[in-house]
Amino acid sequence: MTLSRTKTVGLLFLLVTTMVVAACSKRPAAAPTVPTPTVVNPPTPPPPAPTITLRAQPATIDRGAATSLQWEARNASSVSITPGLGDVPVNGNRSVNPASSVTYVATAMGPGGSASDSARVTVNTPAAPPAGETPTTRPSVNSTDLSQGVKDVLFDYDQSEIRSDQVSILMANANWLKQNPNVRFTIEGHCDDRGSEEYNLGLGDRRANAVKEFLQGQGIPGNRMSTVSYGEERPVCRTETEECFSMNRRAHFAEAR
Amino acid sequence: MIINGRIAIVFIFIAAVVAAATRPQGQISTGTNTGSTAAIKLALPEFQPVGSDAKSTALAAVFNKTLWDDLDYAGPLALVSRSLYPLGKFSGPADIQPDAWTTPAVGAQFIAFGNVRVEGGKMFVEARLWDLKTTQNRETIGQRYNSVDNDDGARLIAHKFADAIIDAIGGVRGIAQTNIAFVCERTTGIKELCMMDYDGNSLQTMTGYKSIVMSPAFSPDGEKIAFASYRRGGPDIDILSRTDRRPYTFDRVGGTTSMPAWSPDGSKIAFATSRDGSDMEIYVADWNGKNLRRLTVNKGVDVSPVWNPKTGREIAFTSGRTGNAQIYIMDAEGTNVRRLFEDSGDAVNPAWSPDGQRIAFAWQRSRTSNFDIYIHELATGQNVQITHDAGNNEKPTWAPDGRHLAFESSRAGGRQIFSMILDGSRVRQLTNSGRNTGPAWSGFYK
Repeated sequence: MTLSRTKTVGLLFLLVTTMVVAACSKRPAAAPTVPTPTVVNPPTPPPPAPTITLRAQPATIDRGAATSLQWEARNASSVSITPGLGDVPVNGNRSVNPASSVTYVATAMGPGGSASDSARVTVNTPAAPPAGETPTTRPSVNSTDLSQGVKDVLFDYDQSEIRSDQVSILMANANWLKQNPNVRFTIEGHCDDRGSEEYNLGLGDRRANAVKEFLQGQGIPGNRMSTVSYGEERPVCRTETEECFSMNRRAHFAEAR
Repeated sequence: MIINGRIAIVFIFIAAVVAAATRPQGQISTGTNTGSTAAIKLALPEFQPVGSDAKSTALAAVFNKTLWDDLDYAGPLALVSRSLYPLGKFSGPADIQPDAWTTPAVGAQFIAFGNVRVEGGKMFVEARLWDLKTTQNRETIGQRYNSVDNDDGARLIAHKFADAIIDAIGGVRGIAQTNIAFVCERTTGIKELCMMDYDGNSLQTMTGYKSIVMSPAFSPDGEKIAFASYRRGGPDIDILSRTDRRPYTFDRVGGTTSMPAWSPDGSKIAFATSRDGSDMEIYVADWNGKNLRRLTVNKGVDVSPVWNPKTGREIAFTSGRTGNAQIYIMDAEGTNVRRLFEDSGDAVNPAWSPDGQRIAFAWQRSRTSNFDIYIHELATGQNVQITHDAGNNEKPTWAPDGRHLAFESSRAGGRQIFSMILDGSRVRQLTNSGRNTGPAWSGFYK
């Protein structure tokens, strides 16, 4: 009697557990891992590609305070950090005290190519209602040129930090914009349609501003660019797949109106 | 045999577990203030057309359907089924034998009846509400209404009479004459401001910007609608008159600016903007955009401000300061910020109830779940789930009676606007064509 009661309780536990597991398994499978390409018997291995990591510690400071940039490169013959630091040792650290939020980019060069990483330093400034500055509008660019010269920058879900794999795209955009100093443009921040519309409006705004600050850090004057958030209003892709979502999470460059 | 019995017990237990898990976490009272636990029983025989012309018959039908739906949806009344009524047509006082309506079979406490007449381009409705429990001063309402002789006119009179009945015997104010403003998208990518009656009829398009409109909000007196649009480039705040669509000036804020929210006295508007160049923060200004003042200062998005409509002394909003979107309350000066409740997921779209005691919101409890509408009871800290298992449900907005909510949902595909009673019952789809989002329920008109 006691034994069978235990069995019943055991069966009950098993059933409930199965239900809980079944409920949990409704979640979509984890994102597929990217298969690593395997190289078959390379005759002469090419020089290894450089790698670099850059960190800011702390990542958030009050205005006037300092933070430490630390970097470490492998397979690199030279490293430079923008803005402001220029050529630096391959490994090292440096204290900086930026006046406003900025994204530092470290680029490592070596026989095997180049690599970049970025670290953002957020500077808390005392709240002061700034003057409402309306960007002056002047048509100055053939939009075809801009759309050919710069590319969209993609973001991770619910994030506005510049992804390390997007740094090279942004650097190329910055170079093109430096070579075309008359181009005035708007950075549009966009989101996928998950999450709330209002929150996404704020997220798109953060993305546009992150790109603006990056470009300012690369020497592009702030008065050449304005920002606007479209939140989830202007998707480039309208299916509910991760591939589509990732294309929609972007900063897009448009001719200034 | 014994084994079968045990298995049955196990299944009964599991059924109980499942039932407990799927039951709403609490109860929302939708009771009336009449002191009675039972709804008031109202008999509502069809209003009779005077004359047999097609127009009178057609307008009487529109009037009858609207009046029935209004009273049935209002909440405080239980309409007695027409199948139980005595035989006959009930057009005027002479047609009503009170005893025939108070029999145990019918059991009505009140009766509303009357007639519809069309003459000279107008329609006239003679409408009465009788209290069947008394013999003296039986007539609670005796009113003659008139309007233009079309469907909108018939609906307008029905709404007026319905509200008069609810006001007189329902213990609350009727909402049949209120409106819902919302964002309507007929052409993909072009969103205009639209407005409809609370029941989805009499749709009007309020703007022709061919741009993007978002986040409408009625002024407390219901006469103005503030919203955001991209018509000047980046999103900024616009205000239009509800009645004649005349624009009011609101100084351009700059940056990404949206989500206007009126203070309960109508003198100020809180909103979210990134004009300072960092991320969106909550600001407040006079309702013409002057005397701008910043209320929040922190890293992370701060959006969706809404005032406590009862006191005007607090503002609820959504913030991403901890990583997830969560709802916070602060004093109207921006001080004393506290989190509404601690839990997982994204809690967004706060909507403060007219009595100041509840906050409706949309909650996505995990990244793999849908948004559903919940109500947070401020006194107890309890969250009650209102929508279940029907797509994404977002952007709740309170009817001014505090007993109905409108919201947007993907349950019918795309996005449409629905309304319901506070306990989640009586869900009505209000919009059908295109994509319709962001409802804002008006207050009572003066």
